[in-house]
Formats: sequence, C-alpha cells, structure tokens
Amino acid sequence: MTFLQPWVLLGLPLVLLPVIIHLLNRLRHRPKPWAAMRFLVSATRSSISQTKLRQFLVLLFRVLAVAMLILFLARPLAGGWLGWALAPAPDAILILLDRSASMEMHSGGTSRRQQALQLLTQAARPFEQTSHLVLIDSATLSAQEVAQADSLARLSVTGPSDTAADIPAMLRAGFDWLIENRAGTAEIWIASDNQRSNWMPEDARWNSVIAQLSGLSQKVRVRLLELNQTPEDNASIAIKELLRRPRGDQSELEMTLEVQRNRTAPATLPVTLTLDGERSSTELKLDGQSLRWRRKIDLGARREGGWGSFSLPADANPRDNAAYFVYGPDVPLLAAVVSADRQGARDFQYAAASRGAEPAELISPADFASASLDGKSLLIWQAPLPSGGDADRVKTFAEEGGVVIFFPPEQADPRQFDGISWGQTQNAEGQDGFRILRWEENEGPLAKSDEHQSLPLAQTTFMRRQAIVGQKDALAAFDDGSAFLTRQSAGKGEIYFCASLPDPAWSSLGDGPVLVPMLQRMLLAGGQRLQPVSAVACGELSAVDQARQWAAVDSTEAKDIRSQAGVYRSGNRLLAVNRPASEDDPEIIDSDQARKLFGDLPVQTLQERNLETGQLQGEIWRVFVFAMLLFLLAEAILILPARRTAPPQTAAPAKTKQREAQLV
Amino acid sequence: MAEEHKFLDSGVLNRLMHLTLMARSPMEGSVSGLHKSPHRGSSVEFAEYRNYVPGDDIRRLDWRVFARTDRFYLKEYEAETNLRCYFVLDCSASMKFGNKLHYAKRLVATMAYIAAHQGDAVGLICVAGKTFFEIPPRRNPAHLKLIYETMDKADARGQTDLAPALHDLAEKVRRRALVIVISDFFCDLGPLLNAFQHLRFQKHDMAVFQLLDRAELDFQFDRPVRFVDLESSLSIVTEPSTIRDEYLRQFGLFMEALRDGCHEFGADYRRVVTDQNFERVLADFVVERAQLAASSP
Repeated sequence: MTFLQPWVLLGLPLVLLPVIIHLLNRLRHRPKPWAAMRFLVSATRSSISQTKLRQFLVLLFRVLAVAMLILFLARPLAGGWLGWALAPAPDAILILLDRSASMEMHSGGTSRRQQALQLLTQAARPFEQTSHLVLIDSATLSAQEVAQADSLARLSVTGPSDTAADIPAMLRAGFDWLIENRAGTAEIWIASDNQRSNWMPEDARWNSVIAQLSGLSQKVRVRLLELNQTPEDNASIAIKELLRRPRGDQSELEMTLEVQRNRTAPATLPVTLTLDGERSSTELKLDGQSLRWRRKIDLGARREGGWGSFSLPADANPRDNAAYFVYGPDVPLLAAVVSADRQGARDFQYAAASRGAEPAELISPADFASASLDGKSLLIWQAPLPSGGDADRVKTFAEEGGVVIFFPPEQADPRQFDGISWGQTQNAEGQDGFRILRWEENEGPLAKSDEHQSLPLAQTTFMRRQAIVGQKDALAAFDDGSAFLTRQSAGKGEIYFCASLPDPAWSSLGDGPVLVPMLQRMLLAGGQRLQPVSAVACGELSAVDQARQWAAVDSTEAKDIRSQAGVYRSGNRLLAVNRPASEDDPEIIDSDQARKLFGDLPVQTLQERNLETGQLQGEIWRVFVFAMLLFLLAEAILILPARRTAPPQTAAPAKTKQREAQLV
Repeated sequence: MAEEHKFLDSGVLNRLMHLTLMARSPMEGSVSGLHKSPHRGSSVEFAEYRNYVPGDDIRRLDWRVFARTDRFYLKEYEAETNLRCYFVLDCSASMKFGNKLHYAKRLVATMAYIAAHQGDAVGLICVAGKTFFEIPPRRNPAHLKLIYETMDKADARGQTDLAPALHDLAEKVRRRALVIVISDFFCDLGPLLNAFQHLRFQKHDMAVFQLLDRAELDFQFDRPVRFVDLESSLSIVTEPSTIRDEYLRQFGLFMEALRDGCHEFGADYRRVVTDQNFERVLADFVVERAQLAASSP
C-alpha cells in the first residue's frame, strides 16, 4: 500500500490521543465525598470486569477511528486484487480535447472535433457516478469539471476554435490539476488529430511532463482517441507578408499569400477580397498543392489604416478558408546613420533617404547615447560594434520592430553584438574581385523587384570585404562561401550584417542599384516599429491585449478574440487575428510515435476495452472512511448512558398523608 | 435557651406539643406519668378484679362484691408511670453527608423537648466510631439544656459502629425504656441487628430512624466522579452510569434487610430522607405511636 500524501502519516502518534485524554480525564475527575461507600464499592466490584472491558473497547475504537482518519487523510492506494476490488473506476478522468483549427476538418458530415465529442461522451458516460470528469481544452488550457458526460458537447469550451493545440502544455495542465486536487487514480484521454505541429514530438517539455506524470504516487494511464481520417477536399489560405508601400503620393499594400490544398489536380479557386468592408473577387489557378501568391492592392491616396480579408469558398474545413489583415496608416519612414566618417556616410544617407528625399540623419558614434531614435525605422551602423548602453539601445530598437544593419568598421573589432563580430579585412586578389552568385531573391531586402527583375548583385564588384564572424542566416554569400549579408531576428525586428562598404575602394555598391533598394526595403520593413501590433495568431494574444475589450469588425456576430479568427477593434486600434500558420501543416504523427512519447506510462487507444485494472493502483480511502464511521458508531453505542433505573422508594406510607391532613 | 433554639422550631413545637410521645409497651417509671405500667397502680382507670391473697391490703377489698358474692376480691387499677427515653444519635462521619446530622439533631431535640415536657426522663447517647458519650435520663426540663449543648458539640467523625453502644445500653438499663436510634446505619447489619435483639430482649421499646440523603438514594451523576469515602481514605473513580443499577440494587437490598430486621425485633422502623418535611415526619411518628399505645390492651 502506498499513500498519496505520506507526510500525513507523521500524525500516526495521534492515535494515542484518546488514551492520553482518558488518562488526563481520570486525573481531573471532581472529588465527591460520599457516605454510602459500601454500596459503591460493592457495585463497582461486581461490574468492574464488565466496565473495564467496555472501557477498553471504547478506547480501542477511539484509537482505531483516529488511525482510520489519519490513513484516510494520507490517501492510501492499493494495487493488485485489493485495488481492483476497492477502486474499480479511476478517481479522475482528464479529457484533453484538441479543438485546434485542424480539428474542424469534416469527414462524413461531421468534424473531427464533433466525432471526438461523440466518442468521448459515450466513453465517459459509465464513469459519471464514479469518477471526476475533467475537461482541458486546447484553446484555454483550463481544467473544468464536467458533471455529466452528455453535457460535453454543449460546453462553450468544446466548440470550434481557430487556435493551435499544444499537447505538452495540455498534459502539463492535466498534471497540475492532479497535483492541485490530489486526485487518486487517473486516466488521461487525449482526443486529437495527431497533427505534428500540435504534438511537437521534439519538444523538450515531453520528457519533463512524462517524468512528472510517471513520478506520481498513483499510476496514470493514457488513452488516445486518434482522429486522422482521410480528409475531404480542402484548401487553406494564409497571409505570409504584408507591407504598405508608398508609391508616389499614393500607397499600395504588398501582400504575400500562401494557398495550400490536399489535392494535386489543377483547379481554379475563387478568392474573395474584402477591403474595409468592400468585396471583390478574383480567381486563382492552382497546379499543385501549394502556391505562394503575391498580390498588390492599390490604396490610392488613402492615408489612414484599415482592414481586410481573403477568403476561399466553403470546403472540408471552414476554419482555414479565411485570412485577415490590418494595415496601418501611411507614416513617413526615417533612417539614421551612425558613422564617424561623415564623407563615407553620405552614400548611406542618400540611399536610405525618406519619401520626401530627405537624407537620413547622421549621428556620430559618440553622440549616439543622446540621439533620438523616435520615428526611425532603420539604423545603419558603420562604426565599431556598439557596447554597453549603446548595444542595449540598438537591441531594443530592433526588438521593437526596427531594422539594424551593420557595415564594416574598416578595422578588426574584437567586440561582439548578438553573437556576431567583425573579422579581418580581406582584399580581392584579381581585378574581378569577390563575386556573389546566389542570394535570397524570394523575400527580404535582396528579393526580386516588382517586375520580377533580380537586383544587379551579380554585377556588383567587391574588392574588399570584412569577414562576418559567427554568422547566422546568410541571405547572400560570395562565391567562396563567405557571407555578404546575414540576417537574424531580434524581437519583432531584424539585424543585418553586410560584409562590404559602398566606398569605391571596397565595392561598387555606391552605384546604387543594389544599395538603394536594399536599404529602402529595410526602411520599409522597419516601419512596423512605428506601427502598433496589427496581427497575432489566434490563441497567442498578449495578456495586455486580453484585458482589453474587443469587438469584431469583420462580422456582425459576436466573436471571442481568444479563440476565433477575425478583425477586431479596441478603441482606435485594429487587430487581425488569424489561425496559427502551424495549423495549415498537414503532417501528422502515427500511433506508434504518439505512444512512444508517453514513455513508461501505459497507453491505450480509447477503443481498447481490456482495462487491465490489476496493473493500476486504486485509491481506497472510502474503506478507511467507512471503517472510521463504523468504529465511531461502535464507540457511540458503547458509551450510550444506561437506562435509568428508578431509585428505591422512600417510606411514605399512605397513613402519613392522612396524619398530615389531620394535623393541618 | 439560645442553644436550644438552634435545633428547635417554636412553630413546630406549638403544633406538636398537644401530641404525646407514647411508648408502645408498658414502661417502668419511677413516678406516675402518661404511660402504662406493667404494675397495678392507683389511677382512676379500672383494670381487673383479683382474688384476695393473704398479705393484701384489706383496704383495697371491694366490699360491695363481698356483700353480693361472699367472696373477697380486690379491685385493681391501671398504673401510669413515666418513661425513660434514650436517644442514640449516630455521629459517625457518614452522617456528615448532606445535612443528615443536623436533621438528626433537630429530630432528637424536638422529641426530647416533647418528652421532657410530658414528664418523661430524657437521655442521650452520641456514638462516634468506637467512642460514645452518654447523658443519663432526667425528668427535669432543665436537663434539656445539657442535651442540647452536648449535641451542639457533637461532630461527625469515625466509622459507623452503633452495636457496641446499643449492647452497652441494653446491659446498663434494666428497666423498660424507649430507645430511639437515629442513624444512616451504613454499617454491618449483623452486629446491629444483634444489638436490636439484645434491646428487645430487655423489653425496651425501640424506634429506628434511618436518615438518608436524596443523592444517596437516586445516585444521579452523569459524568465520571471520584468518590471519596467520608469514613476512610478510600476513593473510587467510576463512571456512575455504569454502576448505577448495581448500586441501587445493593442499596435497596440493604434497606430491605434493615427494615425486615427491625420488624423482626419489634423495632419501629422509619426511613427518612432529609428533604422530607421535618414536622411531618415527627407528627407521623408521634401520632402513630399514640394510636398504637391506645389500641394496645
């Protein structure tokens, strides 16, 4: 026998409490002078054996009752036949329901989530009276006790959502509930479509949560309800990039969308665009399963922000047919150049000029600490790497959404910034210099132009370069593999390192065809620093935003921003909420993979009926409560006061009363 | 008289003084009184005719009968004498329980007052354990003061042991007397009844007052109590509810045996609970005895 709360057993010496109280009571009996002692002695002597036996039994029952109480509080567990006989049903059944967007995939008229609810209801119904049914849904991760299995499908927290599921987090929530509620035997029922992005089999949290569940005093069993039937025809749409780009006095939205489907046959999909409430349609031709679609939307002279959405016609999964976006107002974007070389910085200042052709502001490295970065979206750093407070300020700038690009300081610099430092300066040996043959042309600052023309990077001559040490993601590299332009994310912004300078002694970047679009694109990308957060994945709303009141803009029906995609407004702020990109990932894990994730925990599919309860430990506290009540009842019967016997009649003959009457 | 008033209630005395404390059997007094005597006397109450025997006083011959029958008969009259009344007061420690001793003293004081004022000699024996203190009977009402003073000084102590005092009394008092014993009788009944028998053998008239407290009779306790014996150092911790039945049974048997023993030896047994009205107890006692005395031949 084991105990869920073994520390309570430290109270076992308390079983002596009734004996101690009895002894103390004997000491504090009030003394009563008594004359008729001979009868008392005689009566006591005749009943002494009976009384002693009764007192012994009363004390014994009291001691046993206290012992039973302590054992009950220690939450005993019994295995084997005892556990089977005394605890045939688990104490708690934790139902972990995946209600991510992918669970809305329909098959045969019902969604996977609805099928899961039906099966869970059937499976949980026999345990209604014997077990605690606790629902943990993937959208809220909150545990909710369910009184009746039939009410599962009617709960708001079992409805459809546009969120992703985090199975390790759900298990962790289940573990927390077991600990918090000191539950006994538990079963964890997981209903999911086994989407890989939801299960995250490589996540380190699996090891910890499974170790925690395995380490519980009571054994926990896992039962899986896998809902990965072959889906019907389905297509999804998602917005990958959104940029408001000025074009003269006007502006346009430049968007990159991704359309995916589970069929390969060529098809034409009607796509509906809603822009600030106005609808328009277009057709999209698909040849394969996936298409990256770049779309520009002319905003005309409109300066203020707005919202919109792209939607596909209804198919197997209605939750992945819409993608929402919000664009901010057209604000002027400014850059700052940090350089000690006033002459050399001129190229940067003009290449990163604002829309009004105002050159970028030049800041001396010594003055950087006091310089204002308000309204800046791009920071060009051509000086030794910042350190101390300057480094923190640069990093904060990037994390807020700004873009920072470092150019060679023309000298070796042992300092590091975010893990990257400058190496030695290298000069090209031949006249051709260093060549760049490949770079990222699909997106980023070196992407092709709107007319699908590549930037003339291959024609740019590089005679000198400074090595980027500790490089991360190289967007462009020289022919010898050394990085020309690296990029790394920092918060909401990006940090770039460029290996050459627009100085004629270094390269022909100063000619402009590469440097200008590259810096202008960075200037544009860094513009989000100046914009409030405009898009989040459903279920990932920040705590600050969750506390605000949001009203749906794209629909007249009330929607919950925490679980439903759409465009919401809070005051003047618009927010686009889309299902997480991972929900469009069709990859799933198979049953064996899923089972392996649970380590030594016993795992069964929900359809398996052989319970093998003998292997489980059952909580048997009921037995101890019953025994305690039994002992208390026996003790109460034993200490019941005996029926009162009439005392001997005093002599009061009838004659006395007559005499009294005569006297009176 | 201040001492007397401690045990006397003038109201009670006023109401009881018209009653007479009578003996149930003829008494042998030294002077004439209210009680029948075993001897013939000179009272106005005719008793019987008796044949003349030589030596009889010829002045007592009934000449009229002689004239009619030609035989000598003597006309005899009842003799009426006073009685000696001995009060035996148990002053053992058990009488300390409740107000038994005080109640007993009041009984003795009131009866002694009545007896003394009807011309009877009143004596007192206080028994406390092995020792007892005796005041011989006197007819003088002033003798009462001594009795009251003695009772006032008597403390409850020692064990209940009346038998030696009663045997001593039976041996010492040769002439018939009224012996009134007042005690709770929490002692061995054998020796006590032997003493009663001894007194009865000496032709004494006996009255026995058994004084009890209500708590002793009912034994109503609901919590464990440490009982401490008043007459010894014995103490018992017990759960009253568990032994109450047996206690009451033993008590009942004891009282039954005492009553039967008293009846066997002609003693007038009275069981008195100290919460009973004192005046009624006394009135009942005195009136019943008066009726018995009147109905006896």
